[in-house]
Amino acid sequence: MAVVQQTARPEGRSSSSFWTVARRDSLAGFLFIAPQLIGITLFVLIPLCLVFWYSLHEWNVLANTFTYTGLANYQMLLEDTSLPSVLGATAIFSAGLVIFNLSLALLLAVLLNQKLAGITIFRTLFFSPVVVSLVAWTIVWGFLLQKNGGINGVLLVFGIDGPNWLREPVTAMISVIVVQVFKNVGLNMILFLAALQGVPNELYEAARIDGAPRFKQFRRITLPLISPTILLTSIITIVGSLQVFAQIAVLTQGGPGLTTTVLVYYLYQQAFQFHFFGYGSTLSIMLFVIVAVLTFAQWQMRKRIVFYES
Amino acid sequence: MNYYKTLKSAVAAIAVAVPLGISPVGSGIANAQDAVNLRMTIWSANEAHLKLFSDIATGFKKDHPNVTVTYESLPFDTYTTALTTQIAGGNAPDMAWIFETAAYDFVNSGALYPLTDTLKATKGYNAEELSTTAAERWTKDGKLFAYPFSTSPFAMFVNNDLIKASGAKTPAEMIAANQWTWDNAIATASTVGKTGKGGLIVRDFNYQIWQNLASVWNGWGASPWSADGKTCTMTEKPMVDALTFIHNAVFKNKAMPGPGESVDFFAGNAAMTITQISRASLLPKDKPFAWDLVPLPKGPAGNYALIGQAGVGVMQSGKNAKTAAEFVAYMTNPENSAKLSQFFPSARKSLLNAEVLKKTNPLLSQEQIDKVVISGIATGKVIPGHTGFAQIQQVVRSGLDAVWRPDANIPAALQQICGQIGPLLKR
Amino acid sequence: MKAELSPRRQVFLYGLLCILLIPFVFPTWWMVTSSVKPISDIFAFPPQLLPESYDWTTYSKVFELQPFVKQYWNSAYIAALVTIGTMVVSSMAGYAFARIKFPFANAIFMVVLLGLLIPSEVTIVPLFQMFLKAGMVNTHWPLILVPIFGAPSVFATFVMRQFFIALPVELEEAARVDGLGRFKIFRKIALPLARPALASVAIFTFLHSWNLYLEPIVFLSSADKFTLPQALTQYTDAYGGPMWNIQLAAATLTALPVLIVFIIAQKQFVEGLAHTGLKG
Repeated sequence: MAVVQQTARPEGRSSSSFWTVARRDSLAGFLFIAPQLIGITLFVLIPLCLVFWYSLHEWNVLANTFTYTGLANYQMLLEDTSLPSVLGATAIFSAGLVIFNLSLALLLAVLLNQKLAGITIFRTLFFSPVVVSLVAWTIVWGFLLQKNGGINGVLLVFGIDGPNWLREPVTAMISVIVVQVFKNVGLNMILFLAALQGVPNELYEAARIDGAPRFKQFRRITLPLISPTILLTSIITIVGSLQVFAQIAVLTQGGPGLTTTVLVYYLYQQAFQFHFFGYGSTLSIMLFVIVAVLTFAQWQMRKRIVFYES
Repeated sequence: MNYYKTLKSAVAAIAVAVPLGISPVGSGIANAQDAVNLRMTIWSANEAHLKLFSDIATGFKKDHPNVTVTYESLPFDTYTTALTTQIAGGNAPDMAWIFETAAYDFVNSGALYPLTDTLKATKGYNAEELSTTAAERWTKDGKLFAYPFSTSPFAMFVNNDLIKASGAKTPAEMIAANQWTWDNAIATASTVGKTGKGGLIVRDFNYQIWQNLASVWNGWGASPWSADGKTCTMTEKPMVDALTFIHNAVFKNKAMPGPGESVDFFAGNAAMTITQISRASLLPKDKPFAWDLVPLPKGPAGNYALIGQAGVGVMQSGKNAKTAAEFVAYMTNPENSAKLSQFFPSARKSLLNAEVLKKTNPLLSQEQIDKVVISGIATGKVIPGHTGFAQIQQVVRSGLDAVWRPDANIPAALQQICGQIGPLLKR
Repeated sequence: MKAELSPRRQVFLYGLLCILLIPFVFPTWWMVTSSVKPISDIFAFPPQLLPESYDWTTYSKVFELQPFVKQYWNSAYIAALVTIGTMVVSSMAGYAFARIKFPFANAIFMVVLLGLLIPSEVTIVPLFQMFLKAGMVNTHWPLILVPIFGAPSVFATFVMRQFFIALPVELEEAARVDGLGRFKIFRKIALPLARPALASVAIFTFLHSWNLYLEPIVFLSSADKFTLPQALTQYTDAYGGPMWNIQLAAATLTALPVLIVFIIAQKQFVEGLAHTGLKG
């Protein structure tokens, strides 16, 4: 809850001593946030309350029955034997995705932050998957990851008998993470690139004069200075990772077994494919709580990770 | 652009019809001229289909000038999902296409308006000629809840070029010698498979849509659950035998592509594929190969056939369910069924003759139509389905992953699947 | 910005970038080349790097089979409105959360942040019911209003807030002493400085709206109202099977303009973003 404390720099000076100014400020503040607040109320809070309301019901869409069942759906949550493996898959998927996405984005940003002829073309090409249709993207990767697909074809050249990527539990998880990262890493890459260009060159020059090796420069100067961007991208990526399922649905359908069934895909199945809207809503509420707790924790940790935020 | 034009004219028609509908409101009496707008969700967005449908809608308008029918194309892959989302949101269509696998859900839930009375009351409808096997899935307590407008048999497409090149026997030769059995089919597929090409593919199965394997295991008399749907029968001998046969074909004989391997028959890369006859449209035109269409091979339990179906039903919740039912009756009357059958094989007996079918399947020979299409529709069982099928499908899919490994313990895996779907079947 | 690299390092870097590029570029390459292949060649194995025969009619079919120009316009104008709307809403809210002291600011910010956390699958059914009651189903309103004011704009607000926090406050303080009102300070001083942050908000928002898939499918039902990602699924053959070559041609047409805009804008965008820096 300590969000605005840091932001309270403006009141450090004259304004706060006058009651009328403070009051006028409050009014201005509310007017400024009014559109967003009304929107959130209408399009997030009210729907969320409705979802909670649904979660207390058994809702058979086809039979058009909507029966109050109290906490029965939450009871079901505890008894759902699939849930532990779904939650495990979700944790592995999100953690893998965030780590791989951020490291690759940072690596690409560093490589692309060089004075090199034609670097713009490279930036564009690395960014291009972001705008490619998800369907086309997933189909191609589906091909490449076949047992007799392009990737194993390349591996065979080096004498390696590649795995059956999408059919083995471990490689299936790796595959869905990697496919997802290649599609979207361009966005984080751009944010990192911008952050890197914001690092004053004089700092590096000073370090070079001091004879600091490149890696040390990176660790001591670059990382701290771009830490706010790291925080921002990691929050976006974690939250985003918990909402990914279209590619999983196409590539593995959550298999083999349940190894790539992440929570949001499970939720989607329950609500939209199996027509258990009540239980689906219950899973929604659980997903929401998990994301909220994670984000809050990250937010609290920012003081330790982030080098400066006034 | 036809669809666009149709839509525009439909909108114009609504614009004209709406004021007509509003004028008598003052009198407070429902008027026969009240404008009625009916919406049908479909999974085809094909231009030729939509043209035919809008022609039918126009034909209906002649006798029902106040009724306007519009068609809403939802994406094929997410069709049922999009449809139920609309229903959940309180915006159910008046009429909807329904997949055979989802049929039990819709029929048993009470979501559909019974059609039998309306069909019987329609002049010249001749409802009796609809084959009972075709209507079975769509019927409950003697009442038809959705009309199966498409009944499409599964058959074996054959690439004779590949088979001859490998030196194996072609299915046609085997049929002539009365040797067209699964063992021999797999032997041929295996020979071709060893040349580096694909052997036999159950199309769209991909180790996920397992219900398509019914095109194989029905030859063993196997079925995933009992006829009343209450008991899991996957642990019984026919199913164990059939899956063991398929497992051997995949992992020992290399006669079928393994999990995670994709081979496309219609690109000329495999010897045989099992799919619905309508897929003949995929045969390549620029790089043709010598192809054949034959019935499914004989299994240990004898000859058999499999069909896929699509039904059209009227949603109970609609305000104009009765009018919608009249439209379905019009859409599927003998005359319009004949028109529909150029895309969707009809289960009406009068349309099940070589003469009609030859017109609508120009690629097929007389013999192929007789042997594959007519007898397939007449005798075929429908792909497995069940109430709550989507969930059962998913559970079985996940359980069968244990079977699709070289060292699988098939009876144990099936035992486990039965344990998991047992409670779901009883629901 | 950086010192020139030695030629050896340059060659090494080019090589490394080219290898890294393969997984990023190959799928796009396949999409573009397959769009002119005959449908049976698309799934040929191994994949053909270059089409063996070219069929350019796929591109004219894209326009014949669907009101594609209209759908293009729908996507473009919705994305443009959403982008502009989000920039207005989120820069104001972000500014207020960063700069203005008002009661419950912390709590309200937390509530707003909730929007960031909710997958659209979670709220789509209640939203559908609400828009149905408002008579807005099969209109573009849900696709415009929800992103501008609802959950998707929260990310933008968050970015703007972080930006304004990092912005030196002195200029604004001076203006306040001169008696300028809050709104004037925001418009005349803070907003012009926030251009880089607005640029990143714009690109994220535009792409989000451009690629939106679930919502159009749920809310729109007539072809002339469809947006592009939804229209792509509508190219099907007589048996409901996708006409892949035409779908891929349409997908190519969908991706191309955005890429071109990115090529033109990227230098300004990246360096503009870096100029003041998107800090914490």
